[in-house]
Amino acid sequence: MFKKIGHSEIAKLLSEWSKESTVLVPTRADGVTTWAKWDGRDVSFLDWYRNTVVPPKSFLLPMLEEMFRFQKGKDGYSLELPPSDGRKQVIFGIRPCDARALAIIDLVFREGYEDLYYVNRRNNTTLVGLACTSPYDSCFCTSLGSGPGDARGVDLMLTTAGDQLLIEEVTDKGKELTAGASGLGKAAEADLISAREAVELASRKVTRQVDLKDTDKALLANFEKAEFWEDIAAKCVSCGICTFLCPTCYCFDINDEMDRQGGARVKSWDSCQFALYTRMPMENPRVEKWRRVRQKVSHKFLFYPLSYETTGCVGCGRCIRRCPVNWDITQVLNSLTAKVA
Amino acid sequence: MTIADTSQRPRFFARGNVYLPHIVVIEKVIEETPGVRTFHFNFKDERLREEFAFQSGQFAEYSIFGVGEAPFCISSSPTRRDHMEFALQRVGKVTNALHRLGVGAEIGFRGPYGNSFPLDFLAGKNLVFIGGGIGLAPLRSLIWNVIDNREKYERIDIIYGARSPADLCFKYDLETWGKDSSVNMVTTVDRGDKDWTGKVGFVPAITEQVAPSAKNAVAIVCGPPVMIRFTFPVLAKLGFTPEQMITTLEKRMKCGIGKCGRCNIGNLYVCRDGPVFSYAQIKSFISSEY
Ligand code: SF4
Ligand code: FES
Repeated sequence: MFKKIGHSEIAKLLSEWSKESTVLVPTRADGVTTWAKWDGRDVSFLDWYRNTVVPPKSFLLPMLEEMFRFQKGKDGYSLELPPSDGRKQVIFGIRPCDARALAIIDLVFREGYEDLYYVNRRNNTTLVGLACTSPYDSCFCTSLGSGPGDARGVDLMLTTAGDQLLIEEVTDKGKELTAGASGLGKAAEADLISAREAVELASRKVTRQVDLKDTDKALLANFEKAEFWEDIAAKCVSCGICTFLCPTCYCFDINDEMDRQGGARVKSWDSCQFALYTRMPMENPRVEKWRRVRQKVSHKFLFYPLSYETTGCVGCGRCIRRCPVNWDITQVLNSLTAKVA
Repeated sequence: MTIADTSQRPRFFARGNVYLPHIVVIEKVIEETPGVRTFHFNFKDERLREEFAFQSGQFAEYSIFGVGEAPFCISSSPTRRDHMEFALQRVGKVTNALHRLGVGAEIGFRGPYGNSFPLDFLAGKNLVFIGGGIGLAPLRSLIWNVIDNREKYERIDIIYGARSPADLCFKYDLETWGKDSSVNMVTTVDRGDKDWTGKVGFVPAITEQVAPSAKNAVAIVCGPPVMIRFTFPVLAKLGFTPEQMITTLEKRMKCGIGKCGRCNIGNLYVCRDGPVFSYAQIKSFISSEY
């Protein structure tokens, strides 16, 4: 079902949602675009927002979180879970790529033993997508079967249609948000057409392309070739930025931290780009940088396809925009397929 | 001591928050070698002592609160369940702290995780166990399991080696198996000493010497990565197919359940898809990822 809303009504809509949920919106923190709880007034991000530097994954997988606390009493150890934060959250304005990224993380975190820290938050989260109008020249989502208007992965999809926003109700969870909301009108055929045109226009602006047809074959064929990978990894400085800012990267570490009240077992972001990540006391399978770069590329473009029939990359382009040495995944992928051909 | 057929045991799955450990209590500490200790332990919770079930080959995350978690296989056999055991070498932060623990100490335990040795596949076959150093720990769970159900299996060969006589783990088991006429036990060391009367040589070389037949056989190999890397080609030479070679792998494992990302070999996670693998499963990645 399609509805629509005028720009001037958005603040009111967000206020209504804020009663039940924490509404998260794009924001600028000292010039860096990230996400924060909506301040109750400002919706100007609708004008300046392209995509955030920091992906919204941190609201589902916090950078640091206490899994439980432990304390030693006279009857031995007792463990205590953090108070359950059952509050709902709405991520308003999530881009299609970042929403698909969460669907990709779901594959891992909902499978087998569920990771309840993630799953509970995820179940309490509603994604309101916002179709892109001005993609970056580093975006390559259209090569990954997606695009600026892709609604798979969101609960509601908003698309600019003139001075209004078209609202597509994608899931039942999305419908819960629109049900009874004020300021919503019925969308007319003309609105649908104008929204479709906006998406098409935006899609044409995504000019960066990768050919993924034989990428998995090329990765497998070159897996053991050290020089091949050394070449690809040469300029990387192993800072891990590409993985921290990647909307699908979920790797984490578990450590114990002591404080005055006792101690806590803590989960924190980690990165396959660090040698310590795989270090065992006597062995480390990925001491050399090229093995770690190979892991990053192979995980997303070989292992994910093998296990889940999807890439682990959504083409958001953050790793290209933010790499300090301009390491470029699209260049790597294109050179890979060139090599196998 | 109760001896049971483990294939009848229901699989045990943790419910709720899997990251929350159970408390277990150390009941006995055995000094295996100067750097390796075995710990006997049991659940603090009475009900868990009854309900908990595991299979040979599975592992768990053990933790000292305030220090951290580390993965080790359960080295005892599910056929002998008045307590459970794990063995570890003192090498890192957690293992050093564990080595300082005595009887009565409480630690965290979550598991069992991972797959297990394929008992159905092994039934009716000749089994060749090849172990090195502390790599005998997971094999030991299976060896006792097999011995406790001896009629289900054919010939049993055990080839076990360590750096020196002092580095041989589970000497009490080696002795028992050595005396067991239904088991063909070969022990070797890289370097002997003046009292050593057994074989001297690396495990792969001794395997080549012993030359177990590949006919209706399965080789189960566990030890340091370098030993595994050199043993597979020897087995291949003896006629073992990749499907007839089984190993259990070790990685840095934090979550134990396929989430934290670090223990993969190709698209397989050692914690989730292993730790038991056939060589056929991992051969395209093993030379460079292990
Ligand atoms: S951001 Fe660039 S330099 Fe940093 S780890 Fe990624 S590829 Fe290497
Ligand atoms: S230990 Fe975390 S993925 Fe295997």
